[in-house]
Amino acid sequence: MHITESVKGKLSNKITDWYEHSPKRIYIKAKPQDIKSIASVLFKDLGFRFIIASGCDTPEGIEILYHFSYDRMGLILSIRVLLKDKKKPEIESIAKLFPAAEWIEREIWELLGINFIGHPKLEHLLLIDEWPKGDYPLRHDRNNKGL
Amino acid sequence: MLKTFLNYLFFPGFLFSACIGLFAGWVDRKVTARIQYRVGPPWYQNFIDIVKLSSKEIIIPEGAKLTFLLAPFFGLLSTILAATILGKSLSVNILGFTGDLIVILYLLVIPAIAMIIGASSSQNPLASIGASREIKLVLAYELPFILSIVAVIVKSGGSIQLGRILNHQINLCSNIFSVSGALAFIVALLCIQAKLGFVPFDASEAEQEIMAGTLIEYSGLPLAVFKLTKAILLYTLPIFLIVLFMGNDMSLLFIMGKYLLILVLIILIKNTNPRLRIDQALRFFWGPLTFLAMVALVLAFFGL
Amino acid sequence: MSLKIKALTKSLWVFHAATSPCNNCDIEILDVLTPRHDAERFGITLVGSVRHADVLLVTGVPNYKTKERLKKLYSQVSRPCLVVAIGNCACGRIMFKESYNSPCPVDEVVPVDLYVPGCPPKPEAMIAGIIKLINKVKGKEKK
Repeated sequence: MHITESVKGKLSNKITDWYEHSPKRIYIKAKPQDIKSIASVLFKDLGFRFIIASGCDTPEGIEILYHFSYDRMGLILSIRVLLKDKKKPEIESIAKLFPAAEWIEREIWELLGINFIGHPKLEHLLLIDEWPKGDYPLRHDRNNKGL
Repeated sequence: MLKTFLNYLFFPGFLFSACIGLFAGWVDRKVTARIQYRVGPPWYQNFIDIVKLSSKEIIIPEGAKLTFLLAPFFGLLSTILAATILGKSLSVNILGFTGDLIVILYLLVIPAIAMIIGASSSQNPLASIGASREIKLVLAYELPFILSIVAVIVKSGGSIQLGRILNHQINLCSNIFSVSGALAFIVALLCIQAKLGFVPFDASEAEQEIMAGTLIEYSGLPLAVFKLTKAILLYTLPIFLIVLFMGNDMSLLFIMGKYLLILVLIILIKNTNPRLRIDQALRFFWGPLTFLAMVALVLAFFGL
Repeated sequence: MSLKIKALTKSLWVFHAATSPCNNCDIEILDVLTPRHDAERFGITLVGSVRHADVLLVTGVPNYKTKERLKKLYSQVSRPCLVVAIGNCACGRIMFKESYNSPCPVDEVVPVDLYVPGCPPKPEAMIAGIIKLINKVKGKEKK
């Protein structure tokens, strides 16, 4: 389709894997250093809209998916980045590009422990402010207990 | 002296108007329920609400002065006085004094002012939003209301006594059967819809937006007094309209019929309209309605 | 039976205090107030301000933030006031018992008078629960 050809054309050197789950649902793998340039290409040049981000704790590392939508065709494009270092995961924040990403990055930080470099205000969103530092509830190696 | 006091308390004052007003409130709830295809509350529901409210604990917010407790009672006392004067002017040998129309007009503004004062002394930001909306609403609807009443005064030969207005209508014909009278009646009907605080003009007590607006901090007996004031207004205002516009036949059966007619009109307008924003309501009252009232006034001058 | 209790049971004003539920119970509470299972024939209406309320309908599992708000809400109601816990989450936290963000169930924050279990409870179950609550309040007085 027309828009997927443009995506492949503009980001060919940054995409490491391309998986089409269905004609309207595409997953791309990329490196964590490239996420800011990929996001700005998708938003400014191609007209995608940022929906939300999701974070997941997998055996290989912590994975973040950024979901973009092409509203004219109903196409949803998800970018997977894998952070291999589980002790100190870090990635660049895209909050300067999309103000919509501020709150979801705060939530991913406080529940999974990923440090977003360059985020304007990295504070607690859902948990109380007195939550102990270094305690990230959605990590798999933390047994499920309260405060 | 004692007779006047008993009139104020029992008939046609507090007890009589409160019972009829609470019953009319039940008619409103039942008809609304039937329109929405459900069964409504039983006939004693409003009475039970008042009894239950007067037995709950009264909570006074910190920093509220004495006006917080006094404001509802001023509203109630002035409304009962307006009901008494109106009832006395309808009795067989038509009593009253020159200017009692103006007195009733003044007395009917006081409940709205009591609500504004009560809301402003509540120390709550949501209540102050409700109070500012109520102030704007009062400014909006008082103008066309007074203009339509001036049209009636002009039609009755310039007299400002309720008894003379009634006499004029009994001798000639009801004010509503003339063009200017009909226009003035429509304007007055919409104005009392706003005075009673019914949809589409209840922006000051909007439940979903500002959590009961002006009455947010009231509980217990003062809240019961506010609800009682609303009920007595529901009795007083349609009777006021009947005296001004449909005063031809004042036998008991006809008064009840006309009262039910105005009540049905109010309920119909209430159930078929959404709520207006406060700037839309202001534009509505100062735009089309004032224009209609002035047309009615000009037509009344020419005797139409 | 005193007039106060009799008047209270015939005209219950309801306030909805949702402590971050999944909103299924809230939708079912809304169903009770709609024309199909009409609750206004019992005198029950929804009020906007917590000071006008007689019954607090609590849904959801309280977490650290909403626990404080629920305590404040309960202290702002004018007595006499009843508390109803609606849904499995409010009754006993069922599957969220070992979650990281739920310190205690609802009845350790406010005293509960009626539990309506179900996920979500049907509107008929809620109406049956209200009837049991009314009988309990009346029976307490009679003793």
